[in-house]
Amino acid sequence: MNILIFIKQVADTEARIIIKGDHKSLEIENKYNMNFFDEFAVEEAMRIKEKNKDVQITVCTIGSQKAVEALRTAIAMGADRAFLLDGSKAATNDPLAISRILSAFAKKEGFDMILCGRQAIDDESANVGAMAAEFLGIPHVSAILKMEVVDGNAVKVENEIEGGRGIFEVKLPALFTTQKGLNEPRVPLITGVMKAMKASIPVVDPATLDIPQEAVAAEASKVTILSYESPQERPPVKIIEGETPEEKVKNLVKALKEDAKVL
Amino acid sequence: MAKDIFVFVELKEGAVRKVSLELLSKGKEIAGHFSSSLYAVLIGHNVKGIAATVQPYSDKVIVIDNEGLAEYRWDTYASVLEGILRKYNPYAVLGGSTVTGKDLFPRLAARFGSAIVSDAVGIDFHDSGIKIKKPLFGGKVISWITCSEDSAIFITFRPNSFGIEKGSLNGEVIEEQFEAAKDPKMNLAGTEKHVSEKVDLQEADFIICGGRGMKGPEHFQVLEEIAGIMGGRVGASRAVVDSKWREYEDQVGKSGKTVSPKLYIGCGISGALHHTMGMDTSKVIVAINKDPNAPIFHYADYGIVDDAFAVLPVLREALKKTREEI
Repeated sequence: MNILIFIKQVADTEARIIIKGDHKSLEIENKYNMNFFDEFAVEEAMRIKEKNKDVQITVCTIGSQKAVEALRTAIAMGADRAFLLDGSKAATNDPLAISRILSAFAKKEGFDMILCGRQAIDDESANVGAMAAEFLGIPHVSAILKMEVVDGNAVKVENEIEGGRGIFEVKLPALFTTQKGLNEPRVPLITGVMKAMKASIPVVDPATLDIPQEAVAAEASKVTILSYESPQERPPVKIIEGETPEEKVKNLVKALKEDAKVL
Repeated sequence: MAKDIFVFVELKEGAVRKVSLELLSKGKEIAGHFSSSLYAVLIGHNVKGIAATVQPYSDKVIVIDNEGLAEYRWDTYASVLEGILRKYNPYAVLGGSTVTGKDLFPRLAARFGSAIVSDAVGIDFHDSGIKIKKPLFGGKVISWITCSEDSAIFITFRPNSFGIEKGSLNGEVIEEQFEAAKDPKMNLAGTEKHVSEKVDLQEADFIICGGRGMKGPEHFQVLEEIAGIMGGRVGASRAVVDSKWREYEDQVGKSGKTVSPKLYIGCGISGALHHTMGMDTSKVIVAINKDPNAPIFHYADYGIVDDAFAVLPVLREALKKTREEI
């Protein structure tokens, strides 16, 4: 079974982010990780590999050369191979372009199953998985919490639905997005890290893939970021005065009623 | 061409979700600006009776009532919506950034080759069109985005992004029929729904969150009581969920749910970035923590520096009194 995983390198939640003077670009502190939800995808693929014969795990991402670090993390966790899709000329802010490129790469490499995180924690968009599945003409199930490979051709999954869980039986090939709760991602062993350091990671130029190039070029982006701005700052906290919990609560309720007008 | 606005109406247990009424309220304002029409799109089984709920908020209500749409699946819903959108050709389609919205909208946007912006929190006019407000990096940056208008723009919004205006319209109901095509490779074998009286965490107007400072699952009872009084929900920090004191569905923060209630109260929560990124768009934030240096106070409007265990029972009684006054 060929398992393909789409991952994304994202700024660490602690990374400092500065909006540049022109409000058109950002300066992001050099602290990056593999997207939190993608770790569940890599872990699930590893569990399938450990339980079944002839499983190959391929990871890929679109990004700059820097994104190789996230691919190496996936190899350290146990992925067999990794590819970097060069995003320098592509409309990387546009989920449509990203999913076109990823699906074209998937078609070229071949796959039985695609896994990716339910959303990226930098833009919270949750678009690329379902969009790539649409371009590939395969089913998808979002936010899976449990997966069982029934045989080489089908899987049974449980996923998060509104107000509960859904249980789906899906014929492969199919795409699944992974949610926290699916598994506990492993911490790479030192041998894995060594292997990852040495792994050669080919760079793929999206221009070599079978996609209408004009549809994925930077200037074809369907979305344009007009400007970045800082969030509105909250005024400094008002610490509620009082000698006793009773007094403090009384003053808080008064403030919530009369100043904030939320009670 | 008229810039008609469509709102995908989400239902929960046979009732219209609050987020859909928020989007209809905002949609009316947008359609008003463009002198176009606002359509509510109501899809499901036995939903004709629900049309009356959205009629006051819409110029037109498109209803597709079909047995095959009883249970939400992206394949059937996308096939029906595709039919509607091809027929009516709207300017923009709005939906909630909910479990369903996140599953359905990207599939449709790819099918139409359209611009999609998800998890947005605001919208405004720009040139002859619109611009969309979307937080990035857990709210550290706000971006404004414009979209290519050559096909319908798909946008999902966080619940609680807009207020609900009192509806004074009486939208004409249009019944349509489109095939609800199932993907034969995907079989819904069943669903397990929690039978829960609880308000949806993302839609709640009031959230009281407990952190590790609550010391154990048994101490969440008082939070439940307060949430009950306020008609809201109890949330939890990651540490609490990881310690299995609360279910994952209660988790507020980066790897949990992003919430923006009218009033958020954090109890015994230190305020790790991970958590604050999921709640810092709340309208009013109250923090209760005995450590005056806890980072949560940087995000709060009001703070009580005291032991949560001493404050909470008093707060419960005080809030109960405010409810009784109404």
